[in-house]
Amino acid sequence: MDKKDDKEPKFHDRRGFLSAIGVGCLGAACLGSGVLSIEYLSPNSVLEPSPRFNAGSLEKYAPGSVTEDLEHGIYLVRNRSGAIYAMSAVCTHLGCLTFYKQQENIIACPCHGSKFTGEGEVIQGPAPAPLPRYYVELNERSQLIVDKSQLVDDSFLLKV
Amino acid sequence: MSDSERKFNIDTEKNPLMTPKRIAFIVKRTSVQVDARDEEMVMTFPELVVKGLIIFEVVVIVLTIISLFFDAPLEWIANPNHTPSPAKAPWYFLGIQELLHYFPPVVAGVLIPVLVIIALIIIPYFEINIKKRELWERKRGRTLVLLTVSMALIDLLAAAFKAWVIAVPTLLLYSLILIPLFSKSNQGLVGWIRRRSLTEWIMLWFVIMVVVLTIVGTFFRGPEWRWTWPWIDGIY
Amino acid sequence: MTTNSILEKLKTLQPIRSIYRGGGSASNLGRSLTIFNNFFLHVLPVKVRRKSIDFGATLYLGYVSFVLFGVLVITGILLMLYYRPAVPHAYHDMKDLTFVVSSGAFLRNMHRWSAHLMVVVVFLHMLRVFFAGAYKPPREFNWVIGTLLLIMTLLLSYTGYLLPWDQLAYWAVNVGANMVNATPFMGPKLKFVLLGGHGIGENALVRFYVLHCVIIPIFAVIAIGVHFWRVRKDGGIRPLFGPDSDKVESEANQKEGD
Repeated sequence: MDKKDDKEPKFHDRRGFLSAIGVGCLGAACLGSGVLSIEYLSPNSVLEPSPRFNAGSLEKYAPGSVTEDLEHGIYLVRNRSGAIYAMSAVCTHLGCLTFYKQQENIIACPCHGSKFTGEGEVIQGPAPAPLPRYYVELNERSQLIVDKSQLVDDSFLLKV
Repeated sequence: MSDSERKFNIDTEKNPLMTPKRIAFIVKRTSVQVDARDEEMVMTFPELVVKGLIIFEVVVIVLTIISLFFDAPLEWIANPNHTPSPAKAPWYFLGIQELLHYFPPVVAGVLIPVLVIIALIIIPYFEINIKKRELWERKRGRTLVLLTVSMALIDLLAAAFKAWVIAVPTLLLYSLILIPLFSKSNQGLVGWIRRRSLTEWIMLWFVIMVVVLTIVGTFFRGPEWRWTWPWIDGIY
Repeated sequence: MTTNSILEKLKTLQPIRSIYRGGGSASNLGRSLTIFNNFFLHVLPVKVRRKSIDFGATLYLGYVSFVLFGVLVITGILLMLYYRPAVPHAYHDMKDLTFVVSSGAFLRNMHRWSAHLMVVVVFLHMLRVFFAGAYKPPREFNWVIGTLLLIMTLLLSYTGYLLPWDQLAYWAVNVGANMVNATPFMGPKLKFVLLGGHGIGENALVRFYVLHCVIIPIFAVIAIGVHFWRVRKDGGIRPLFGPDSDKVESEANQKEGD
């Protein structure tokens, strides 16, 4: 037809232009619907317990002890100098809840046999990483507040 | 063509697709006819498929606009201990609920809906619904008598139960049906009325009843199902 | 590089050709194959009468009902993700959808208005079919299926009405349940089975939920499939206006032959 077609811009006639607009609108509508659907499918509020909770007063935790708090899935570890930190009790392999063997001072996972030290370092097993630690602080009444939504690095200690 | 050339024996052993066939229908009062029509056909794709896509888009767009501006209602949480006044069924059942005002529940709630459904289902199995004849074409006297008797029965029954909502529209429709008796015109509204068959009139009556009852139930009934004027007291 | 040329180039690729056989709009053969080879479209004939696809033929009412049904299914499934058919969670979930969930109010509105619209459109469709004489032989059975679909539409609307568990829902269903109760001989028993108890409570909510989301939709989908199939098998659309439409048989017409 028109030999200048190759050099003409994309919508070289009315039909092409309108069709491009049509496809553009359709694409925008699909994109919009997609975004709205994803927004819809992600709940804005969930009924779950708060990640920030009160672990009781400091006296409950003797120096040089590892205390299990299975309800919240953490260990509260207080070393001999009195500093305290909160450590996840969830095995870093595939998410099972570990348990503390007092005699050997070892944290073990029942699912695939991972073993951690009392400080959370990996001794043996398929676990790839040490047990992560959560943020702790003392509130105004000297109660221990643990915040599971904040991860801290392995050297974190709350000195008291 | 001479007799010797005309073929009376059809040779079916050769290619059967090549055998010429002619089928003759001989119907009373007519001569043999072939029903041949030239109907213009178009390709489904793109004609129908594209039309379908456009209608789909239009419907979704209309629904989207309505949904953006009008909210669905949500009242207080269900409380079995407190009946709101009035307690209305969904709008498509308000016609039946209006009937409940006049007739006992067995009739309005069970009998009439069941009869209506049965009547709808059996429509195509009756000869009178298959042949479409003008109502006033023949036997006008008999038609007029039967029509008047049916109308009188319905209206007397309705009046006995004080169901004016049924009686009045029936009477109005009856007078509409009688118009072709008074006017010779074949054009316009009168012509259209003249051409309606009995089946169509019955369906029209049914539709008018449904619409009137639903409108009354929706707009004209307030607390305790009392009559209310929506432009004075609002819509319940 | 127009849209068309991009599409044409895509169609030559082997993965695309393995999914999408034949078709294309370049020739009548291509257009035929687009319908004939398509799982979803091949209930349609390859060619249709031009007069039957005009707006005046059917007002597109049947197709619009089908579109509304599709919208209802999709919005309904999305709403199901946030709704628990339990007392009192149902009501709180409705509040959740209206005020907390992103686009929740919009989806709920879409569902409600398309439901109301569908009752109207289905009824109008029945009227169109009737006045076009499209219930006459050989289409009688399709009319019967259509009536059943009308009943299913009303039942779907009714069972869905209870689910928000607000005052409007509760007492509306109460009226309907008492109408069922009035059925002679079996009334109270029917009401007991429908509600799963003596009043409208948790059992009623779950029953209506399953009826609304599973039982009636399954029957509706089957009936819609048969309904479409019958349209095809009975000779296609019978339009409201046009040469194929229903004609008054007067004596004048009779003389020309039956």
